[in-house]
Order: sequence, then C-alpha cells, then structure tokens
Amino acid sequence: MFSYYLKLGWLSIRRNPLLSTLMVAAIAVGIGSCMTIITVNYIMSSNPIPQKSDQLFYVQLDSWDPNNEDDDGFEPPEQVTYLDAMALMKADKAYRQIASNRSGLVLEPQGEGERPFAVDTRNTWADFFPMFDLRFIYGSGWDDSADRNLERVVVLSKEINERVFGGEDSVGRSVRLNGMDFQVVGVIDEFLPVPKFYDVTNGAFNEPEEIFIPFNISVEYEFPRNGNTNCWKTPDGDGFEAFLNSECAWIQFWAELRNETEKQDYMTFLNAYAEQQKELGRFPRPLNNQLSNVMEWMEKQEVVDDDAQVMLGLSLLFLLVCLLNTIGLLLAKFLGKSGDISLRRALGASRSSLFIQHMIESGLIGLGGGVLGLGLTWLGLRGIEMLFGDFVKNLVGLDWVMVLTAIGLAILSALLAGLYPTWRACRIAPASQLKIQ
Amino acid sequence: MLSMQNISMVYRAGMVETHALREFSLEVAEGDFVSVTGPSGSGKTTFLNIAGLLEQFTDGRYELDGRDVSGLSDTESSAVRNEKIGFVFQSFNLIPDLNLFDNVDVPLRYRGFNAAERKRRIEKVLETVGLASRMKHLPSQLSGGQQQRVAIARALAGEPRFLLADEPTGNLDSHMAMSVMELISEINSNGTTIIMVTHDPVLAEMASRNVHILDGRVSDDHPDIQIAQAATA
Amino acid sequence: MEIGPIWRAMMRNKTGAILIALQIAVTMAIMVNAISIMQERGRVMSRSSGIDEHNIFVITSVGFAEDFNERITIEEDLAMLRVMPGVVNAIQSNSVPLSGGGWSMGLQTEPGAEIEGTGVAIYFVDEHGIDTFGLNLVAGENFDATDITWRERSDTDWPDKTIITRAMAETLYPDDPDGALGKTVYISDTEPLTITGIIEQMQAPWNSWDGVERVMLAPTHTLFGATRYIIRTEPGMRDSLMPQVEELLAERNKNRIVRSMRSMDEIRERSYRGDSSMITILTFTIVLLIAVTSLGIVGLASFSVNRRTKQIGTRRALGASKVAILRYFMTENFIISFLGVLLGAGLTIGLNILMIEAFSLTRIAWYLVPVAMLMLLMVGQVAVFGPARRASSVPPAVATRTV
Ligand SMILES: Nc1ncnc2c1ncn2[C@@H]1O[C@H](COP(=O)(O)OP(=O)(O)OP(=O)(O)O)[C@@H](O)[C@H]1O
Ligand SMILES: [Mg+2]
Repeated sequence: MFSYYLKLGWLSIRRNPLLSTLMVAAIAVGIGSCMTIITVNYIMSSNPIPQKSDQLFYVQLDSWDPNNEDDDGFEPPEQVTYLDAMALMKADKAYRQIASNRSGLVLEPQGEGERPFAVDTRNTWADFFPMFDLRFIYGSGWDDSADRNLERVVVLSKEINERVFGGEDSVGRSVRLNGMDFQVVGVIDEFLPVPKFYDVTNGAFNEPEEIFIPFNISVEYEFPRNGNTNCWKTPDGDGFEAFLNSECAWIQFWAELRNETEKQDYMTFLNAYAEQQKELGRFPRPLNNQLSNVMEWMEKQEVVDDDAQVMLGLSLLFLLVCLLNTIGLLLAKFLGKSGDISLRRALGASRSSLFIQHMIESGLIGLGGGVLGLGLTWLGLRGIEMLFGDFVKNLVGLDWVMVLTAIGLAILSALLAGLYPTWRACRIAPASQLKIQ
Repeated sequence: MLSMQNISMVYRAGMVETHALREFSLEVAEGDFVSVTGPSGSGKTTFLNIAGLLEQFTDGRYELDGRDVSGLSDTESSAVRNEKIGFVFQSFNLIPDLNLFDNVDVPLRYRGFNAAERKRRIEKVLETVGLASRMKHLPSQLSGGQQQRVAIARALAGEPRFLLADEPTGNLDSHMAMSVMELISEINSNGTTIIMVTHDPVLAEMASRNVHILDGRVSDDHPDIQIAQAATA
Repeated sequence: MEIGPIWRAMMRNKTGAILIALQIAVTMAIMVNAISIMQERGRVMSRSSGIDEHNIFVITSVGFAEDFNERITIEEDLAMLRVMPGVVNAIQSNSVPLSGGGWSMGLQTEPGAEIEGTGVAIYFVDEHGIDTFGLNLVAGENFDATDITWRERSDTDWPDKTIITRAMAETLYPDDPDGALGKTVYISDTEPLTITGIIEQMQAPWNSWDGVERVMLAPTHTLFGATRYIIRTEPGMRDSLMPQVEELLAERNKNRIVRSMRSMDEIRERSYRGDSSMITILTFTIVLLIAVTSLGIVGLASFSVNRRTKQIGTRRALGASKVAILRYFMTENFIISFLGVLLGAGLTIGLNILMIEAFSLTRIAWYLVPVAMLMLLMVGQVAVFGPARRASSVPPAVATRTV
C-alpha cells in the first residue's frame, strides 16, 4: 500500500509541475537559508572537547579594582595575574592545571637562503597536552621537570613541522626562536578545537598556535605577550619584575577536576587562597571566585555572537514564510483535486487512507525540498566563507548531523505544512463534486 | 434586429479544420421567440456564441440592431453584451463563491449603475423569478431549477433586448423545465427577443418560430410555429 | 471599485487569502527589521576615522637577533622613510584606528585611586604624528621634538604633555570643553599630563567601543619589540610605495622581519567585514524572501485563475471587459496584501521590540513601515499581474463550452 501511495504522490506531483516546482523550491530556499545559519550557530556553539568538557574548569579570581563596578555588580576579570597563576600552579591542588598565554616569536630556519618568519606561540605547562587530549605524531609533551628546570623544549604543530622539517620526525632536533635554540620534544597531530575554548579571550575562532613553549621559559626570557593584558593598577615601578608582581591580568588558568568533590575542594582552596591574599592587602573586593566548565565558559563569554543569533531568528522566520507559502500551494493543489478525491471517496477510500496518501505526497515534496535545500546550504556556507574569509575558516563544514537535520527538517516542515491541506482534503464529501454547480 | 448573412465559422485545431457554420444566414425580428434545434454537433452553440458576441466569426456579415459588429473591439463587444444581451446557460454558470444577490449583481456592476439602482433591479428580478427571500443563499444551497431561475434573473437584471439561452432546461427534469419555460415565455411577452437552443421538441414548439440547423446551415425555418402549436393544441 | 463582492467571494475561500496575507506580514516584519539593521551598520561603517585613510599604510618590523637595537633601527628607519620620494611623512605608533588592537587607559581630572577615570585610547606618536595621520589640530600646538620620550615595554612613566580629541575634552569637561587646553589631567590615578593641544576628531582602534572618539596622543616612541610604522604618501603613490618600503626595510636590517603590511583601506575593510557581510547576507535574505513571497502569490493566483476559468468566462459573457477581469484579480490581491501589510506593520514593531530587548538593536525608523507597506503592495500587484493577465485572456465562449 505504501508504494501505491508513493506512486499516487509522484503522479500528483507530476500532474502539476509548476505548483510542485514552486513548493519544492520554497521548501528548499527556506531550508537552505535556515540550515546555513543553523550550521554556523551549531559550529559556534559546538562542544570543542566533548569527552571531558565538564571536567575542565576555567578559573577566575576576583583580584580586581574595588572602585570599578559594572552595571551587574562585580565581575571577576577574565584572566588571572602572574602572582596568582604561579601561586595556583605551585599549590598543585587540582588533578591537573595549567597557566598559559600567547606570544609571537620569530623563527629562523636553518636552511640556506630561507627567510625568518613570525610564528604564533603558546606558553604553557606540561599538563596542557594530557589535559586537552592532544595527540602526538612524534614524541610527546614535555615533563614537569622541564617546567621546573627551565629546559628549552618545544612542541610543534603538524603544519610548522611540515614547514620547517618537511614533515619528518623532528624529535631531538632544534629550532631557533628569537635567536635562541630550542629542542623539539614532540609534534602534535592536527589540533583544531572550534571554538578555540582554551583562549577565547584572544579570539574564539582563531587558529591554534603553531609552537608550544614552557611558560617559565617565556617569563625567563621576557617573550612578548601577544594577547590581552588588563591592569587596574599601574605596576609599582618600571621593569619586567615589577610587571610580574603587578595586578595586571594576562594569563588563562585551567584546572582539570574529575568530579564534584574535586571541584568543591578546589573552590574551597581558591577561596582560602583569596582570603589569605586579602590579609596581604590584595583582593579588595568581596569574595567572588568562579569555576566554569568548558560549555559554561563559552556561554559566559558569549562565543556565539549576537549577529549569528539575529540571523538565526530571521532565518527561522524566513522558513516560516516558506512554510506558509507551501501550505497555501498544497491547499490549492489538494482542493484542486477535489473531484479526484470525492470520486475516490465514492469508490470506497476511507478518510484515513486519503490522509496517508496526502501526507505521503507532502513528505515527498519535503524530501525534494530537503535534498535541494542541502545543495543550497552548501552554497550558502561557501558564500559565508567568501564573505567572512579566514575569520570563519573552521565554521563552515557540513557534517552528517547537519545533513540529516536538513533533510529531517525539510520533511517535517512539509508534513506540518501538509497537515491542514490534507485535513481539508479529507473532509471533502464523497458526493460533493458529483453535483453540478 | 438581428441579421446574419453568409456567416461561416471555422475552428482550426492544428491541421484539422472544423466547419461549425457554413454560409449561415438568419434574420430575427424584434420580439421574436426563436427556438433553435438540430442534432448534436450541428453548430447550435456556435451560432449562439456568435450571436452573443462571445466568439468572432471567420467570414460573413452580422448586424445587431442595425450595427455591424464584426469590427468591434473587445471592450466594445463586452459593452454590447452587457447592455443588450442576456445569457442563460445549460449549466447555470452561477459563481459559487457569491450569494444570489451578488450573482445577479455581476452584470450590473460592469454596467456602472449606482448602488441604489442595482439593489432595486436585483430585488425586482429576484422577485420575478420567485427567489427574493433567498438573496443571501449560496448557489450550492439551491436546487438545479432554482439555480437556473437565478441565472435567468441575472440575465434579465440589465433589461436586455436579447435573451440567448443554450439548452436552459438541459439539466432539469421536465417539471422544472416547464416552469423555466413559462418564465422565458413571460419574458418574451414583455418584449424581449429570445433565441433558445433546445433538444426538446416540445419546448421548441413553445417558441413563436423554430430554426433547425443541420451541419452548420439553416435547414428548416418555421416562422408560424405558433399556428402549428395552436393547431396541435 | 467592486470591493464588496470581491471581499465576500474571498471570505468563501479564506484560507488561501489568509496564508498570503500572513506571508506578506512576516515578510514585511523580516524585511523592515533587516533593513533597519542594515541602516544601522551602514551608519556605523560610514563614520570617519579622522585620518587620511586612502593615503596611509602600515607595516610592522620585529627584531629577533640578540644584537638587534630597536631604538637605533627606529630612528634610522624613520629618517629613511621620511625622505623617500612620494612619502609625505612617517611615524612609529603602537596602533591605528580600526585595527582592533591598541592601548587604553583612564584619564581623570582629579588625582586619586578611588576616582574612576574616563577610558581613552592612546596613540604613541612623535612630533610628526599629526601630519602623518592627517589630523586637524583645532587648538593648542603640536608636540616638539624635545617632548618625545622613549618607553620600554614594562615602563610606567608618562610624558608631561598630551593632545586629546575634542570628544575626549567634552567628556572630561562637559561644562567647558573649550577650556580643556592647558588643563592637567591624571593618568594611572596620579600621573599628571598637561593638555597642550586638541584635535578635531580621531577614532580609537576599536570601532565598536562606545567611547570610540575618545583618543589621546602621547609624545612617546615605544620599544615593545614589534614596531609599527605608519606611512602617509602623496595621493596615488601608496600602492607603488608599499612594496618598495617593504623591500627596503627588509634589506636594511637582517636582524628583523617585516610583516603585516596593510593599507588603511584594507584595515577598514577587515575591521568592518562582519558588518559588511551582515549587510550582504541581509540583502540576500530580503531578495530571496521577496522572491519566495511573490512566487507564492504567482502560484496561488495562477491556481485560482485556473480554478475559476469558467467563472471568468461567465463574467466575460455577462459583459465584463478584459480590463474588468484584470482589475478584479488585481483588486483581490490588493485587498489581501493590504491586510497583510497592516498585520505586517504590527508584527514589524513587535519583532523590533523583541530584538531591541534581546540584542539591544536600534529602533526602526518610522518611515520604513509605510515605505515597506507600499513596496509590498507593489510587489503583490506586480506578482499577480501575470496570472491576472492570463485570466483576462480567458475567452468568453468558455462559458458555453466548459462542462
Ligand atoms: N473550440 C472548438 N474547436 C474545434 N472545434 C469546435 C470547437 N467548438 C466547437 N467545435 C466543433 O464545432 C462543431 C459545432 O459545435 P457546437 O458546439 O456548435 O455544436 P452543438 O450544435 O451545440 O452540439 P450539442 O447539441 O451537442 O451541444 C462541432 O463539430 C464541434 O466539434
Ligand atoms: Mg451545444
């Protein structure tokens, strides 16, 4: 029976090519525009590290200015100061923890005639690699001892290893950064978290850094800071030492806490630390330390920007217009078949069988709209990519979830749109059309 | 009043030519009641369409009220139809979305009468056909005979000089048919010229004149049918 | 004309009409709000940055070798750049308008840590700053070569003088902005600065900051490792000078790399890419939307013409001229569209209120509503014209010929 309905649906679609094309096109355009925007939103709000996003916590300590109150009260600064970062690292109270920030250095290739070039680097700690599940092609991350002993080691991204060493196993070889030699201990596999959760302060959709360097080294050699630095108090005196001891926040701090107890304990520890600092005359504001897991932090930082949400709203309304359109056309179509329907009724078709028949016809149109809409989505995403350029490089992929969503949404929309026309069609009386008017 | 000379009508559908009327000539005088008979496909409807300016003929000369109508523009012939001619169709052709009042109103609107005048005329003709009480009803709420009366009312509302009817009783039972026929005769007796196509010889004889069409030509013309009828009665 | 019967006939087939009206209403709500967003973005984008954008480009030099001397390099580079043919002037600065990255501090009219300063963007320049950026000094005087200090990355000292924008003066001294000249303001809570000049206008590096016009110039060279040069050229010389400058700087000193060379036009384009993309996407959306809506009207009208063929023939037989039939369908569409845009006006305002609350967008300009209403009425008339034309060409003989 199902195949009979499919056949009837197909015949009916073919009988009215103009109307059918319009309906498929309307659904396709609605789905296409909607899915383009939904995809962008979906990727923006996707979980970059789903396997442990609820065990990774971004740490905020409120060491800020008591005279600078926001509209919604005191908000702790986004980043932490060097003093606090070092104290937390030293306390070692979390299962794993890292302090990290961004630098830009110059890499001098060893080959003849090759020009030096700028690289983005991340200064961090040994725990960074296991904490964020980085996979290695060659070697591994560095040890805790490298952090303590100021060893000049680096981990390279796949791309930079490609560029400098032609993709060979470069473990043990050295790279020259800002005039200093560093030993390669590992090369990571592709690492492209979207959003770049571990440092949204400096661009949630930026490319990850190319080289990872022990944080202590970057401090020892006063590497330039390439990220956001925020101070509420001028450092006491000139020089790097004074800056390190200042109330300037420029470091992102992450802790891995495996369960609720560990989280509670860590929070207790942070508050105790803040109290202790208060006694030393720091932390002038009321106690307000915060731990946010990955998704909470993305939410707080409003990683999905307003424009994307406005567009999402508008595109859903657009889909609504397309649906209204389809309802109208389907209604026209089904009622146009009144004669056929009342004849079928007279010949013994039950209401439910007519219902199924017309819903299947609607579904078929939805399927067509979905497939075409998927093509339009792809085009739309290419368009977005063209418009925004490298800002959204990682934002415009279509995965299976999205493909199925698109088709599913199209069919669902068509069925919804078909509901009322079908109901009207089923209400046509067996005899009504046989009477001459 | 109506004068057709050597009218011919050729339908072309691709390579096929159908001669619906051949050198068709007919004169109808003011106040006549002409019934048109003939076998199916002989050209009755075609004749009526041409007479009512619904179709352009291929060749010949047609004068209505002393005016040559062959060269009229669409707007002009629409105006002629609207003012001088009333139509009654076999399948009533009432507009299903409009109630009786609005259906009768249709030609009056195109005539450009003001609202009061239209209302007066609509109420009058609906009264004439005996349906004044059902003005707000929709066509689907009426029987076939009632629907045809509305159609006649609609044709009469503009007070046309001609009433053209194509098998007005074709969809009605004999009882209904008779009452519709009485209505038409009454209209004729008020001075309206009537041309009515019918298959029913009994009804045909109620006219004052019978024209028989065969193969697109007038084959028989009985101008004194009234006498014949009187004789049979 | 015959609105009464058309209306009553329409009421017999409400759903189709309601659907079209709803569609027009939602279309209007989306359209007007989208246009309002576009207008807002256009307004933001058309603000002047205050500098001679078309003739300025920037390039960054980063020293990396141990024996690299940043100060000498800057002095030599600037001396060389300033005498290059086609170059009007050149400076070293920490940032430029629209670049998105810069330095901000708080300025206050009284010293003290408990006083909240007014946020201000700082450009470090030397005595060539005003000429290089092409700024308009409206009061006071430019810096002198002797005013210029050198600042290391971790230094906290400030020079004695500053030049501020008029917008900054107005914020600092709302009662007497003209009297700002010569006044002392405090930076880092207690460090005094004398306002020695006022420039007409200049934007901060962050175009979406609400204090975007609050800028101060500090007479300072920075030694921050990465040095940014701002170069202003004679009109028309920029594009040919850019590669020359890049090559010269790279060749002059092998202990550094030069990077990120961009014209101000390019920086502006990148800065507003989000906004201009939004405008493009919204334009595209509106066009598609109107296309969908008009195709819907065409589809439904065609269908209704087909369904009413016999009725049209009957009307023709009863004396309706072609024009009358055309007018019938046009009027019908007008009524539906009119209801649609009336509802649309309500929806538009509702959606706007929602968007203002959720995304703090601006209120729509009142005239957009009637303009959009008129436009959609016209779209409806254009869309229905085709089917209406077909209706008017239904021959009157259909009345006797169709079953
Ligand atoms: N539009 C047309 N195209 C081609 N041929 C046509 C067309 N309309 C009518 N004809 C042909 O013209 C001839 C006359 O048709 P017409 O409708 O006048 O017949 P009729 O006398 O009214 O028949 P009936 O009594 O069955 O109604 C027929 O052969 C018919 O097939
Ligand atoms: Mg006939």
